[in-house]
Amino acid sequence: MPESMLEVKDLHVAYGGIRALKGISLSVQRGEIVTIIGANGAGKSTLLNTISGFLKPVRGSVLYKGRVLPRRPDLIVKSGICHVPEGRLIFANLSLEDNLLLGAYLRNDRRAVQSDLEKVYQIFPRLKERRAQRAGTLSGGEQQMLAMGRALMTNGDLILMDEPSLGLAPLLVQTVFGIIEQFRGLGKTILLVEQNAFKALQLADRAYILEQGRIVKEGPARDLARDPTVKAAYLGSRSRGGGS
Amino acid sequence: MVQFLQQLINGLSIGSVYALMAVGYSLVYSIMNFSNFAHGGVIMLGAYFGFFGLTLLKLPFAAAFLLASVGTLFVAIIVERIAYKPLRERRAPFLYFIISAMGASILLENLVIATIGPTFRTYPEVFPKAPLELGPLAVGRLDLIIFIISAVSLTLLILFIDKTKLGKAIQAASYNVKACALMGVNTDKVILTVFGLGGFLAGIAGVFFGMKYTVYPQIGNITTKSFIAAVFGGLGSLPGAVLGSVLLGIIETFVAGYLSSQFRDLIAFVILIAVLILRPTGIMGKVTEDKA
Repeated sequence: MPESMLEVKDLHVAYGGIRALKGISLSVQRGEIVTIIGANGAGKSTLLNTISGFLKPVRGSVLYKGRVLPRRPDLIVKSGICHVPEGRLIFANLSLEDNLLLGAYLRNDRRAVQSDLEKVYQIFPRLKERRAQRAGTLSGGEQQMLAMGRALMTNGDLILMDEPSLGLAPLLVQTVFGIIEQFRGLGKTILLVEQNAFKALQLADRAYILEQGRIVKEGPARDLARDPTVKAAYLGSRSRGGGS
Repeated sequence: MVQFLQQLINGLSIGSVYALMAVGYSLVYSIMNFSNFAHGGVIMLGAYFGFFGLTLLKLPFAAAFLLASVGTLFVAIIVERIAYKPLRERRAPFLYFIISAMGASILLENLVIATIGPTFRTYPEVFPKAPLELGPLAVGRLDLIIFIISAVSLTLLILFIDKTKLGKAIQAASYNVKACALMGVNTDKVILTVFGLGGFLAGIAGVFFGMKYTVYPQIGNITTKSFIAAVFGGLGSLPGAVLGSVLLGIIETFVAGYLSSQFRDLIAFVILIAVLILRPTGIMGKVTEDKA
């Protein structure tokens, strides 16, 4: 019996009067890469923002390692969930290394933080070269790496990733997906939200398909990649280009 | 030349008090994107705390000074808790914050008028009036002390923001509050810290204004100047607020000294309008295009 990391049960979320999520249930087991694919506005980011505490559900619950999550975003980070937001949201006004160290804001063991910093620099040698540079000067791809490195610094077990490939050149998309694979090797569990369904289904173990706030299909990623309706809706012409 | 140096010292002294107030505006603006107009009320209370500490409680200057700054630290935090936190929790539009700020400012001012009274009060003489003779220069002792204490306080503030973990979190929150929370930072604590720091410095500024001029319920209006200075230097930028304040202080004293003191306030508003038209981000203002 695999250990359950994340359990979302019948989650309803509304903005004002608009219902964005209409009863989402899903689960992520330890060590898995699970992807949620869906069109713009399907509710993918809403789901991640609810898990990390920025939105209050109308109904339903989120369990992390079998426990109900606290309400405040910072306490959710403390319990071990780390969220790499859409658009990276790096701190452009701070140096690259300060960005990484902010990831370790809640950690007090200096030596462990230092060793994780070295680990991040090993995975992203380019970040090490530019550690003193202002993060705002980085290119889009480098900013994505920084956001991912910053996530590693939180030392959370579950990483939520919102559109990591958005706006990146195809070659960089490849790199980013390679890094997600490496994260799994470090013992991380990953919930990945992607528009690039082709790549996401190649990488993930399992997938959920989100349409207008509901999960319309779920299963092993390999099966969904072969599913004719999924193919038609999400893997059409885009799959051949590789990028999005 | 002597007159020039004399004016420069006066300008630095008044500019450094503007800076104490302006950084309070800037800190709050940098994170919450609105101008905290209740700040003037907090400064006014600082002036009264210092005054009553010296007269009623007969405290030594250092103790009265501390009473004023710690007192306003708490006042600023209470204002945040009552006037802004409920709005933050409802994610209210920033206009509501400004209205709430003005309400808090009016409330504080009238609270003082109703309880203490509208009269002008003069601080007891703490430092001898006779100026310090430095060669051909005659420097007011009070001006010198104001400048030194302000400079030390501002340096400590900038070190805190630059070197400590919480300071880095404040900088991160000024760029993006959500991303800051995603790092595990308790953003509520960051906001309280910012109000507390601003309040503490406001108390110091209030005491200095009280000593330099007099104490009265509308003394908070002087923050218009520090607000202009914060805009001049670039709202949201701490070094900008300090630079803008010092420049404004110097420009004002020179205008008053060489032209006429009638022009002093005029020039401050001319600067405000010119900055808003020519360079709305001020000298070193943060670019807010990526803030929704």
